[in-house]
Amino acid sequence: MSAQDSASAGVIHDIGYRRYAGERTSRSGITRALLFSGVLAVFGFGRSGKAKVLPFALLGMTLVPAVIQVGIMSLIGLSADLLNYSAYNAGSSFLVVLFVAAQAPVLFSRDLRSGVISLYLARPLGATAFALTRWASLVLAILAFVLTPLLVLFIGGLAAGASLGEELPRVAVALAGAVLLAMLVATVASLVASWTLRRGLAIAGSIMVLLVGLGVTAGLQEVASTEGATGLAHWAALLSPFVLVDSVQVSLGDATSQFPAPADTVATGLLLLGTALALMVLGMVLLVRRYRSKGA
Amino acid sequence: MTVIQTTALTKRYGSAQVPALDDLSIEVVDGVTGLVGANGAGKSTLIKILLGLLAPTSGSASVLGHDIEGSGEQIRRAVGYMPEHDCLPPDMRCIDFVVHMGRMSGLPPAPARERAADVLRHVGLAEERYRLMGGYSTGMKQRAKLAQALVHDPELVMLDEPTNGLDPAARDDMLALVHRIGHDFGIPVLVTSHLLGELERISDHVVVLDGGRLLRSEATRSFLADTGTVLVEVTGGGDAQQRMGEALAARGLSCRPHGGLIEIDPLTPGLPTGAGGTPEDGPGIGTPEDGPGIGTPEDGPGLGAGGRDGEAAAAAHDRLRDLVRDTAADLDLGLVRVQARTGRLEDVFRDEVPA
Repeated sequence: MSAQDSASAGVIHDIGYRRYAGERTSRSGITRALLFSGVLAVFGFGRSGKAKVLPFALLGMTLVPAVIQVGIMSLIGLSADLLNYSAYNAGSSFLVVLFVAAQAPVLFSRDLRSGVISLYLARPLGATAFALTRWASLVLAILAFVLTPLLVLFIGGLAAGASLGEELPRVAVALAGAVLLAMLVATVASLVASWTLRRGLAIAGSIMVLLVGLGVTAGLQEVASTEGATGLAHWAALLSPFVLVDSVQVSLGDATSQFPAPADTVATGLLLLGTALALMVLGMVLLVRRYRSKGA
Repeated sequence: MTVIQTTALTKRYGSAQVPALDDLSIEVVDGVTGLVGANGAGKSTLIKILLGLLAPTSGSASVLGHDIEGSGEQIRRAVGYMPEHDCLPPDMRCIDFVVHMGRMSGLPPAPARERAADVLRHVGLAEERYRLMGGYSTGMKQRAKLAQALVHDPELVMLDEPTNGLDPAARDDMLALVHRIGHDFGIPVLVTSHLLGELERISDHVVVLDGGRLLRSEATRSFLADTGTVLVEVTGGGDAQQRMGEALAARGLSCRPHGGLIEIDPLTPGLPTGAGGTPEDGPGIGTPEDGPGIGTPEDGPGLGAGGRDGEAAAAAHDRLRDLVRDTAADLDLGLVRVQARTGRLEDVFRDEVPA
């Protein structure tokens, strides 16, 4: 830089291109960065301002029953039996479905539609790791959505005088159920969203599959159990993640059911759980294949 | 230094009869390398194979010393890629996006932010970096795409049609930027284009693909070398140009109209200059001797052999110019222009495709 240049004040000098010789993160570091940026993107962080409105509005709405229950408990002094953790998400299934349907396209349709996927695939991770990390991001985001009200219930209940010893096992069952629910719902929604590239279609498709599936399953179970076909009634749970989680919680975790025909024995519950997990793995394989084909 | 090397690389899509890449062996070195070819010539396929996104049907290749088979991750860590099509999420701010892409390439958080701000300044998006990219113009989008390819300080960048959709001014800016990356930043660049004129200006080396085959791979200089052909323009009466052309032909020169100019083929170098050496003797003497010389080009190589090639060519060049000058003087026409015609990359296609 010559003396003449530096003499002219108020000029931003071009310091030239600087090479980067510092540390670089490993593969797991990249995966972690992608995982958490995905979770944040679901809640609208790192995106436009209005992208935050819907997820937080839904989160607020799903908290309302929990807050009311805790409020009633502490004001009127009702017993802690009112706190039904494991049934909470089945009860607010409509909001969970809306949240997942609206936000899964953020992780799955957006990349494919805007073409960002070609940038991701040209980076170290590769298609398989990318698809699975995206899926994990959605699972974590759904968990955050379904666990927050449970946490409010639990902490609020304890503050209102419920006993920790009694509540803990019930909350643990609900937690396990929430994890299972998040994984199953995430698989369904990610498949729908990665195949229908339009956001509107993806939302409609996810709502269709999850919500209508829930209604159909409940109806089917009702009919089957009144007709005496209990086997069919049990297995119908596979059609809807909500019914399945309920059934598994009832049979394995001694929770109270929200649906007509929960699995009645531990064996049926385990079998249902195993089948559901197998279906989930199948869904993830399909998802990975979808992304691998996009790289070509 | 060799940055890309391919050996007999072939790619067939599905059961297609015509391969997208056909037995391609090229070598790319430091500096800016232009990859030229019509649409469908295999440019993007080559880039995808080099990035390890597509598997070749046969053949092998290495990028920065990593083999494309099995070292895809190392290659993708070290290479910056700017795709041809739109690839920006509309609901993200440019700065956030470039930071994110830096992290996806393995930069820790703080350096990613620092470098993102740096490269955005280099590509000229300093002012607009906090805006959502959905509102960007095509020119700004291309710059953002370039920024994400540079953010992790790659050892090689592959730019697929960086000037696509740009207006002439933005195109010039982009080309200058690509040139800067290759020379000032010191990062080897592989840049594709179907516009040959663009690559003439910025690349050191040009690889020409046609139908998946290698047509030519040479230093840009050799494409643009003086061809010996001379363009002449005269002024005078209404049909001055035509009279000049006829007079030149009468002197035994092979010439043809070229737009508003006359294109004259070079004299065969190495012919004894004879009377041509003393142009003051007048054109009358020069003509009969030059005539046969042009008619028998096979004399050329024999006589012009050895180290005297260049010298002989220069002499032939001078002689041609003298002839043009004398012809114009004879016809009493004003000589406006005598211009050496340099090669164009287009000539590569004109000469060799039909063969």
